[in-house]
Amino acid sequence: MLAFISRRLATAVVMLLVIGTIIFSLLIIVPGDPAELLLSTGGGSATPEAIANLRSTMGLDKPVLVQYATFLYDTARLDFGTSIVDSGSISSAIALRLPRTLEIIVVGAILALAVAIPTGTAAGLRAGGRFDIAASAVNALLTSVPGFVVGTLFIYFFAQVLGWLPAGGYVAFAANPAQHLQMLILPSVTVGLHLATIVFRMTRASVLEMRGHDWVRTAVAKGLRRKRVVRRHILHNALGPIITVVGLQLGILLGSTVLVEFVYNWPGLSGLLVSAVEQRDYPTVRAVILTVAAIFIAINTVIDILSSLLDPRIRLQ
Amino acid sequence: MTPSHLPDFNATRRTVLISLSAGVVALAMPQGTLAQTAGGGVLKFGLSTFPPTLKPFDNTGGAANTVKLMLYRGLMGYDATGKLVNEIAESVAWSNPTTAVFKLRPNAVFHDGSPVTAADVVFSLNEITKQGSSAYLKSDLKIISAVEAVDDKTVQITLKAPSAIFLDLLASYCCPVISAKSTDSDVIGAGPFTLKGSEKGVFIELARFKDYYLSDQPHVDGIRFIAYADENLRYAALAAGDVDLIEYLPWTQFDAVEASKTLKMKTTLGPFMFLLFNVTDGPFANAKVRQAVGYAIERQDVVDAAFAGRGVPLYGLPNPKGSPFDLSDPAHEWKYDVDKAKALLAEAGYPNGFECRLLATATYGMHQDTASVVQAYLAAIGINATLDLPDWGTRVTAGKEGKYNIAVHGTSGNYNDPDALWSLLYSGNPSYLQSFGFKSARIDGLLEQGRNEVDPEKRKTIYQQLVVAYYEEVPQVPLNWRIQAYAMKQSVEGFEQLPGFLSGSSAYALDETKLG
Repeated sequence: MLAFISRRLATAVVMLLVIGTIIFSLLIIVPGDPAELLLSTGGGSATPEAIANLRSTMGLDKPVLVQYATFLYDTARLDFGTSIVDSGSISSAIALRLPRTLEIIVVGAILALAVAIPTGTAAGLRAGGRFDIAASAVNALLTSVPGFVVGTLFIYFFAQVLGWLPAGGYVAFAANPAQHLQMLILPSVTVGLHLATIVFRMTRASVLEMRGHDWVRTAVAKGLRRKRVVRRHILHNALGPIITVVGLQLGILLGSTVLVEFVYNWPGLSGLLVSAVEQRDYPTVRAVILTVAAIFIAINTVIDILSSLLDPRIRLQ
Repeated sequence: MTPSHLPDFNATRRTVLISLSAGVVALAMPQGTLAQTAGGGVLKFGLSTFPPTLKPFDNTGGAANTVKLMLYRGLMGYDATGKLVNEIAESVAWSNPTTAVFKLRPNAVFHDGSPVTAADVVFSLNEITKQGSSAYLKSDLKIISAVEAVDDKTVQITLKAPSAIFLDLLASYCCPVISAKSTDSDVIGAGPFTLKGSEKGVFIELARFKDYYLSDQPHVDGIRFIAYADENLRYAALAAGDVDLIEYLPWTQFDAVEASKTLKMKTTLGPFMFLLFNVTDGPFANAKVRQAVGYAIERQDVVDAAFAGRGVPLYGLPNPKGSPFDLSDPAHEWKYDVDKAKALLAEAGYPNGFECRLLATATYGMHQDTASVVQAYLAAIGINATLDLPDWGTRVTAGKEGKYNIAVHGTSGNYNDPDALWSLLYSGNPSYLQSFGFKSARIDGLLEQGRNEVDPEKRKTIYQQLVVAYYEEVPQVPLNWRIQAYAMKQSVEGFEQLPGFLSGSSAYALDETKLG
């Protein structure tokens, strides 16, 4: 077991190094000069002298290999440095924004699981029944509507027409808890909707498969109560694939809540990444991607270890 | 009994009920938190983007300039009608065409409480022109030969040559007077508001500066700038009452604001759209081909497709609204005329047209839509353009390096004078704002003459010649003026959009803005 875990961790470190190098190289290839961009934001143009001065302030006049070595050395010490645009600390920007992205993902995931597992189970147990047909139809509809469309519609109805909720934005929980929760509702429901469709499908399929197994028939034949059969013998076994999918989806969501954050003006990690890419703020882009990658790899590693605990066959593969 | 009859709906029902009640509780929370704006005296302003920096002398975009004007002020400024007015300067006297003497307001103080002195003015202007600065006005202010502090409250500025627009430069959002005690991280200004707090990417909060030199201004206690990058959300935030005032109302929402009982808007013809050419090689090196492009495009279609009809076709030199001169000259304009366009192409040796690359950006929908309309009209005269739509950063570099044949661009000048076209037309270093490789001694000469002449009549004649030179040499092909709008609640009073190219300086009007 220990060997399995250390092998996993070593792989994770190598993957991070590879990812860091790829991002570093890609950013060099991508056209666009951060100094020139910053000085031409206003639609104006800057003199070559002004651009050269700013490039030197940003540290972009150093040789690429020196920049790469500095990047690796600093990253290894977990020092992400400062933004070349506004000289703010990148670590504190990430520390500020990561929890907000996690907040909408976690709240969204809780909502999704709370709705999708019971409905998915019900649909799977009575596959082909009226409830299954209706739920599957709604699910198909929701799957095919992208998050930003849902977001735009939500804003239109709940903010503009009904006036129940703010159109978007963010207020810290400590500053105003009620307003914070109001602003949290729409983004997390939007994230949750997408996740719910996936969890619903997985649950339904998994339950459908499990309920046909011999041990379920045996359990029923033994005279166990329905509730117990569903919980112990069907759901318990069906949960494996669901956990894997939810775990992977959470990792993917970290990097892909960008549209939801944009539509609702939720200042999370994705928004930081997008504005950093637009401004060619290289150190910030690298730091955010590495953070997301690290979390993704961590989630995968944990899932692998969990699965190997549940199913020893995995350890031997 | 088969397993399919086993479902236990109790759990489902409970879960649904719990989630529903959680939602109801959240919705039922006090609505007062949403309607804080009224009576608080703090204006909530929806910005189009979060200012990348607030460096006083750099131009880092419209949002940054708006916030900067609230924190810092210069010697000169504008009133809500776009007229030059004194700000920190109490009076200006020209002792001769190249020497101006500025008396400073006796009651002007910085946010740290120290008085604004002549030494601070000298410091600020030197910060702009010094070696190694990245200041926006650095090259423009090279016209200054000396700045002296005559006494504590008097500054004398000597110019190398007379300049018709020198005071406009001093009124720029990139020319504030800051305290000589300022550092890079702590800039001390003398504007109507002080910085109270901010979070990168989210908001900037300002508080009224009680010792501001105009004792009756500003009217509001503070301003909270909130960044909404998505234009439709910015409008939704206004419609939902989250903010009081927004900049850059999207064109598609003009109808909604006009129809609304609770909202209103202030508009002006500000920025304009135009085409640039790489004139170093290929067909576009020939001015006749560029003229053909000028005649080939039905500009109203650009206005309709890219700006929801909210714009005005532009056929010749972009002389801004509010300019002191009427330069209209129908004989030197490109009105839509396909036959003439085809004839010019044939004359230039391309009767069957050619292939080329049309550069715009996918970052801004208006640039992309404009490019699509232009592409269709070019095809009608045989020019087959392939669209190239990278993100903004890539587009700026491609423009500067000449990696295109035709490019779509849109911008505005900084003041309402034909001289404001200097950065677009005067040949100098390669810039994404100019046709790549274009140089005209004739246009450069006229721009120089116009800038250094102070007699309005003579200036008008010079710019009339510039209109002709622009038409004949085609440094760019103009397409249309954009209508720029600020939208606000009906209850917001006193805010005006400054006219023409001064649209980006409208923040000056926030001094007089009231919350009803």
